[in-house]
Amino acid sequence: MKKFFSTALARGLFWQVIGTLVGAGLVTGIRWAMGLSTTIDNFFFTEPAWVMGGFFGVLFFLAGNGSVTDWYKWARGIDTPEHPEEPWTGWERYLHVSLDHKVIGVQYTVTALALIAIGGLFALIFRTELATSGLKFLTPDLNMFGQTGLQLYNTLMSLHGMIMIVSILLGIAGIINYVVPLLLGAQDMAFPRLNAFSFWIAVPAAVLLLMSMVLGGFDTGWTGYPPLSARAPVGVQMFFLGVFTAGWSSILGALNVIATVVRMRAKGMTAWRLPIFVWASLATSIIALTATQLIGLSFQLVMFQRLFGMGFFDPAKGGNPVLFQHLFWFYSHPAVYVFVLPGLGVISELLPVFSRKPLFGYRWVAMSSLGIALVGFLVWAHHMFTSGMNEYLRVPFMYSTLLVAVPTGVKFFSWVATLWKGKIVFPTPMLFVIGAIVVFLLGGLTGPPNATVSVDLHLHDTYFIVGHFHDTIFGGFVFPFFAAIYYWFPKATGRRMSEFWGKVHFWMMTPSFFLMTFGMMRIGLLGMRRRIADYDPMLGFDATHMVLTIAGYLIGLSVLIFFINFFYSIRNGEKAEGNLWNSRSPEWQVPSPMPVHNYEKPFEVVGEPYDYGLPGSKYVEFSSSSQGKHH
Amino acid sequence: MSHILDKTSALRQGVVIFIYLAVLTALEFFVAVTFESVFFLVLVAVIKAALVVYYYMHIYKLNEDSPSDEHSYGYKTGTSRLGLWLFLLSDAFVFAGLMTVRVNLLGMTRPDLSQDLGLLVTAVLLISSFFMNRGETAMAHGDKKGFMVNTSITFVLGLAFLIGVVAVEWPQAASHGITPASGTAGAVFYMMTGMHAFHVLTGLIFLLVVLNNGRKNLYSAEKHWGVEACAVYWHFVDLVWIFFYPALYLIGAAL
Amino acid sequence: MRHFVVVGIFVIVVSILTYVGLDAAELMPEQASAQAVSIDWLWDLQLVAMSFLFALIVVPMAYSFIVFRRRKGETGDGEHIEGNTGLEITWTVIPLVAVLGLAYLGAYSLGDISRVDPNAMVVNVRGQQFAWIFEYPEYGIVSDELHLPVNRQVVLKMESPDVIHSFWVPEFRVKQDVVPGRVTEYRITPTVIGAYKVRCAELCGSNHYSMINDVIVQSQADYDAWIAVQSELAAASQTPEGIGQRLTVQYGCTGCHSLDGSSRPTGPTWLGLFDSQRQLADGTVVTADEEYIIESILEPNAKIAAGFQSPSLMPAIPLTNEEIEYIIAYIQTLR
Repeated sequence: MKKFFSTALARGLFWQVIGTLVGAGLVTGIRWAMGLSTTIDNFFFTEPAWVMGGFFGVLFFLAGNGSVTDWYKWARGIDTPEHPEEPWTGWERYLHVSLDHKVIGVQYTVTALALIAIGGLFALIFRTELATSGLKFLTPDLNMFGQTGLQLYNTLMSLHGMIMIVSILLGIAGIINYVVPLLLGAQDMAFPRLNAFSFWIAVPAAVLLLMSMVLGGFDTGWTGYPPLSARAPVGVQMFFLGVFTAGWSSILGALNVIATVVRMRAKGMTAWRLPIFVWASLATSIIALTATQLIGLSFQLVMFQRLFGMGFFDPAKGGNPVLFQHLFWFYSHPAVYVFVLPGLGVISELLPVFSRKPLFGYRWVAMSSLGIALVGFLVWAHHMFTSGMNEYLRVPFMYSTLLVAVPTGVKFFSWVATLWKGKIVFPTPMLFVIGAIVVFLLGGLTGPPNATVSVDLHLHDTYFIVGHFHDTIFGGFVFPFFAAIYYWFPKATGRRMSEFWGKVHFWMMTPSFFLMTFGMMRIGLLGMRRRIADYDPMLGFDATHMVLTIAGYLIGLSVLIFFINFFYSIRNGEKAEGNLWNSRSPEWQVPSPMPVHNYEKPFEVVGEPYDYGLPGSKYVEFSSSSQGKHH
Repeated sequence: MSHILDKTSALRQGVVIFIYLAVLTALEFFVAVTFESVFFLVLVAVIKAALVVYYYMHIYKLNEDSPSDEHSYGYKTGTSRLGLWLFLLSDAFVFAGLMTVRVNLLGMTRPDLSQDLGLLVTAVLLISSFFMNRGETAMAHGDKKGFMVNTSITFVLGLAFLIGVVAVEWPQAASHGITPASGTAGAVFYMMTGMHAFHVLTGLIFLLVVLNNGRKNLYSAEKHWGVEACAVYWHFVDLVWIFFYPALYLIGAAL
Repeated sequence: MRHFVVVGIFVIVVSILTYVGLDAAELMPEQASAQAVSIDWLWDLQLVAMSFLFALIVVPMAYSFIVFRRRKGETGDGEHIEGNTGLEITWTVIPLVAVLGLAYLGAYSLGDISRVDPNAMVVNVRGQQFAWIFEYPEYGIVSDELHLPVNRQVVLKMESPDVIHSFWVPEFRVKQDVVPGRVTEYRITPTVIGAYKVRCAELCGSNHYSMINDVIVQSQADYDAWIAVQSELAAASQTPEGIGQRLTVQYGCTGCHSLDGSSRPTGPTWLGLFDSQRQLADGTVVTADEEYIIESILEPNAKIAAGFQSPSLMPAIPLTNEEIEYIIAYIQTLR
């Protein structure tokens, strides 16, 4: 226990609490000196005090847990060792600040899994309410966390969305950070301290998001549209601040990935010999680096509207509510490609290994990731067809949105062609890859109806949309995330997860998910709106809702099984120290668990990455002399 | 194009570019108060920006060959340079977003600000960039004293800009009824200048750090990445203002 | 090649089965507007495309899992096929042409549903937290029910005093947001007589789920009759109760307070309200007299009735003292 309190995690959280009090106290002091109100009934501090508190909390967390110590020393002109000593072993290692991308990758992944559990729990709570018509426990006279049952429904639903989104950003960061340096033959990421910082800033961000629950919640959905968000309870400020902070993690992480891919490649690794997952990571990072600033800006403007009366989106002051939507979606659409491009990259990376065949049309697949990223910047207003924006914008955005289908189609056809004439095997990672393809296909196919304006006028804000994005997210992230974990777990630990329980996870999750998504889309078409705590029994949706709730619980159970498998197998899994999947990729040519400095002997790229079936071909060759000395 | 110049030529180039920038700024002001061509004002801003990005921020250095040893200072500096430019690319999106807000909410109007005061603070910032360039050039040629003097002047001018905006312009605007809560013109003005001022503040802190380390003789002609990074960041702050200045003070009818 | 023939046949079969299955599932509500026709037609076309594309991907995959799986004892890898440029170009160009075609049809459909009838009648709509209010400018009628004559285009001019809402009748298909600070238009030509519901389709706060009003599509004759009755009521009701009743509709009171005694989570019913003994949330009991009602309107949070949420959902309603008197007169009639 004492060990825990000395960890960077515990220290950070401690200092976050102190920082929150200092920030809130500071503002309260200034307000008192200015003769303004200093406390409000429900939440003790005023809203500006909580905002400053939240902000200071993040700063104190980072300063207090050691994430910025080296940079501070550099600013003072003091040199620090390039590879500092990291004496901790076992689980302790992951609770301290480490510069090792492999440790950071695991930290990201485990945090993502924790957020998936929390976000999933929130969903199960409101799914239980929605299982039948008629409010049961989230009722107007319920009073919990300073919210009525109806407000609590909105808060749970909104947090489910945003917590899951943050879990996706952390999950992709986890896989990318662990795997990309290994694929490139690098010792670490280009900027290891920035890497550690990018992870650690996500922790106070998650705390802020969860804090909204006890500050009155918020009733706006994760999209936070004003004017509703301008008049929402104080909790919405924690939501805005939490997202802003998480955005920094995403931006700086992406910066690191781009620099690493450009500057840290092994000899002979030309562009067309990069592993396909690296192309995917690059495309994702280009979007995350740039577009993320716009959600930060849009939220900042609402925060300032609330704090200082700056009427950006207040019609009474000449403001424009629709402007918020343009700014918000300019990020939030490309964001969904951030969510799925890595997962699609995982599919492309793993299919050749399990089909024993080259990735069909590798260069086209590589370019398709960049193509999706580029076109993805041009489609945002398809979320706004009913918004009252200028009429003439609707048709161009319909065209651009439908265009995304072209590079996406290239991937699907390539995957099918990769499987064709292969020698296919079906271990657990492959099952999740296949599940990912089929589920993402559903997501992709339900896209065009949303893209065509007239049909979207019926579908917008219904459960059809909810079904569509759960398809794309499960297919593009959730399934590939599990595939990647099952696949690379042996590389990280030297053991494999249970195949049996992995299959149970898959066969429980997948049919449940299909039931859930088809059910959602059906009632959406028939009139079920989104984001409602209750629905009219006359609509006849009760039976389907019950199915959705049961499916949700089954998915939750399957994920619980995964968690148990994951944690149990770290110490007790079947040993797997060699090239378990018979992959050509360099990280599998060295023993598992991965050595601390990755490749003692550097490798040179001498062939194509996916030349399975070509006798005598090699992808990488390790040098005979041990030149892997780290400086 | 210019690559490795000797010290005299480099300093002279810095002066020449500054003269171009100053002339263009004067031209901008003249056009804005006489015949107000939006196209012309945008064009001038783009030209000024190109000059700053190429000559002061020396973006071409991204394309420089790095030593082959990945663990050498030279190679790592190249990687850090890429990292810095990626950061600036990201930051640029915030300011582009703010411009979008300004265009959407204010259109062909602008806040009723003092154009004279605007020109003054703009000149101060531009001159500070001139001295930053001199300071960086000095250090690149091992001239520690030149570095300290010029960079200190940069700091003073930068501080003057910050005070000019926050402690003079803001109160003056408020006394004319332009407050954060007075309407979209006020909201846009304070948000744009506020975000920019925040970056000026962080730039000033960066300058202090670099001055302090320079004082301790930690930089040399061969190893002064901190100085280069500070200079490029400072010029970026100037670059943003090259666009914000006409957007707030020159384009459109005063409300 | 045998493989391609078998797969081809199965793709066609599965496409047809999928489409037939989806079509039989009756996924769209009743088609009750002229605009719905174009939307349903485009949707149906896309259903065909979705069925085909689903089969096109899933069938070869399933086939591969069976025919190209590694058999027990087999070693060795799959066939070394790196790619095929011709195929890549084909499956880039054909989808490109297809999506451009679909976009064109989409634009056509949008034009179709946006057709303006110069003789369209106008109804003003206010969407507010948490009710819809309909005003017929020609007749000076205000109602909490939207009555429409069948087969005639109506343009709703919609405003909101608070947050973004969205007007949607699933049977009509079309949806349009209501945005504070501007007037948005909703053009619809109802084609089937019947009773529908308009349900707010943009999250607008804690009672978004119950922001629902009636939409009644009637024959021209029945519609005219309703207008006549409403106009008469409006004109004749210069009594305090009559004026009061109109005010309650105009300000959306009946969005949250029922008149027939039915309980709603949004506010106490008005049936039998006046002079009744009222239990408050804090346990005390008061008489719901004139003073109580005046206070309830002007300071909704002064007293919260038992079983309702605190702080109160009730917005500030800009009523004059005279108007409040009329409303009280009306409430007194509700026994």
